[in-house]
Amino acid sequence: MSTILRLEGIHYRYPGSPGPALRGVDLAIETGLKVAIVGRNGSGKSTLFLHCNGILRPDRGRVLLDGSPVGYDRLSLTELRRSVGIVFQNPDDQLFSASVAQDIAFGPLNLGLSEQVARRRVQSAAEDCGIADLLDRPTHSLSGGEKARVALAGVLAMEPRVLLVDEVTGSLDPWMRRQMLTILGRLATSGKAVVMATHDMAIARRWADLLVVMDGGRIVASGAPESIFGDAALASTILPPDPW
Amino acid sequence: MLAIDRHAYSNRWSRVDPAQKGVLALVVLLLSLLADRPAVGLLACLWMWGAAVLGAGLPAGVFGWALAGQAAFLVPGALGVAVSVGPAIQPAAGHGIQLGPLSASTGPEALDLALRLSTRALGAVAALDLLALTTPLVDVVQLLRRVGTPPLLVDIVALAYRFIFILLESLQRMHNAQESRLGYAGFRSTMASLGLLASRLFVEAYQRTRRVEVAMESRCLSDDMRTLPSTYDTAPGLWLLGLAVAATLLGGWVLT
Repeated sequence: MSTILRLEGIHYRYPGSPGPALRGVDLAIETGLKVAIVGRNGSGKSTLFLHCNGILRPDRGRVLLDGSPVGYDRLSLTELRRSVGIVFQNPDDQLFSASVAQDIAFGPLNLGLSEQVARRRVQSAAEDCGIADLLDRPTHSLSGGEKARVALAGVLAMEPRVLLVDEVTGSLDPWMRRQMLTILGRLATSGKAVVMATHDMAIARRWADLLVVMDGGRIVASGAPESIFGDAALASTILPPDPW
Repeated sequence: MLAIDRHAYSNRWSRVDPAQKGVLALVVLLLSLLADRPAVGLLACLWMWGAAVLGAGLPAGVFGWALAGQAAFLVPGALGVAVSVGPAIQPAAGHGIQLGPLSASTGPEALDLALRLSTRALGAVAALDLLALTTPLVDVVQLLRRVGTPPLLVDIVALAYRFIFILLESLQRMHNAQESRLGYAGFRSTMASLGLLASRLFVEAYQRTRRVEVAMESRCLSDDMRTLPSTYDTAPGLWLLGLAVAATLLGGWVLT
């Protein structure tokens, strides 16, 4: 396994916010790895993702792609976003085109690919996500599960090496959730790094190869899921005691 | 809006090249406007209705109701043209009645003008109804791109279309939340709830814009939103239909 993306000492405070959202985050993302990031609401998971993709620029620290610090000019950002894709929590925020095929083609066309290549990528991503029969449908007519898979296909069509998935299983039924995890698992097997922010402890425990625990803008633990869940003190930061 | 969208996707002409339907609509629209003859406007309505029902397979009532709705907007305008209201009956008008300090007058010329205006407008909207009810907006947007409409304008149309549905969903969710807490139980609470709903919807739209912008940036948003051209079927029958319609309307223009 080789490191694709590395974050070193990332600090970030949102403008107008009283406290920092990230406080010295270090993280290495390697090929073929399934990573689950857990932590309470507001612990910094989504902010971390936005740094990986260059949407946010750290106040301090740096992001390295293939060992080189990323630049924030247009060309460098395009290269970063070609390599690192984000699937957002709410698919309605991501699906802004009127038809499914148009939405999936958005990223490939922005990369400057020809229509022919873009069309091939749309078809391939749609087949990978099991939505090839939805390509001509209007986006607004899709169910929640279909929207989530179309949003995933829209990022896959850019053929990123790192896929960041922000809490997409939360609103899916158990069948759709299983299908989504199968797709993500297959992507990791094909060599992509898949990083998922989640509140689902079953995913964190059984699906992930690496579990990262965030709290208050910091990574407080990182390691194999069984070792983290086996540590009572650490496990208590992830899972509160039952109220009964 | 939702009904138009549903029919646009489910009729027999939904996969037909929008350029063909666009040309037909444009020809009918121009002839209705230029001819300025009641017969031409009425013939245009009949043709478009027939094409929608017999050609595209839309239910007869759908096209009829769409046209009736637009006619309802035309009636007040036509009345304003047909009837002059003033302090005294106008001698040139022909007929009139005095109602206290006001009078209403009308005459053959005013009635003729109102009829010509209404039928002209109805013919034109019937042409656009046929296009709207048989063509998904995605394809209308593609057509706009093909004919060289400025990209910025086309992008705005495409985004607005998508957002209408998202905002409708938000509106429904907020309305349900208000109603479940008796937000519409009385007149005062209804007014207060509607005000809150409108202001909240504005904030929601603004926040969502920012989230969508982030999602677009993460997929390398460029200045111009390129899209994949769609592939369509060509319907030779539609060209023939267009010729027949044009010939009939021109005939109506010349003969009346």
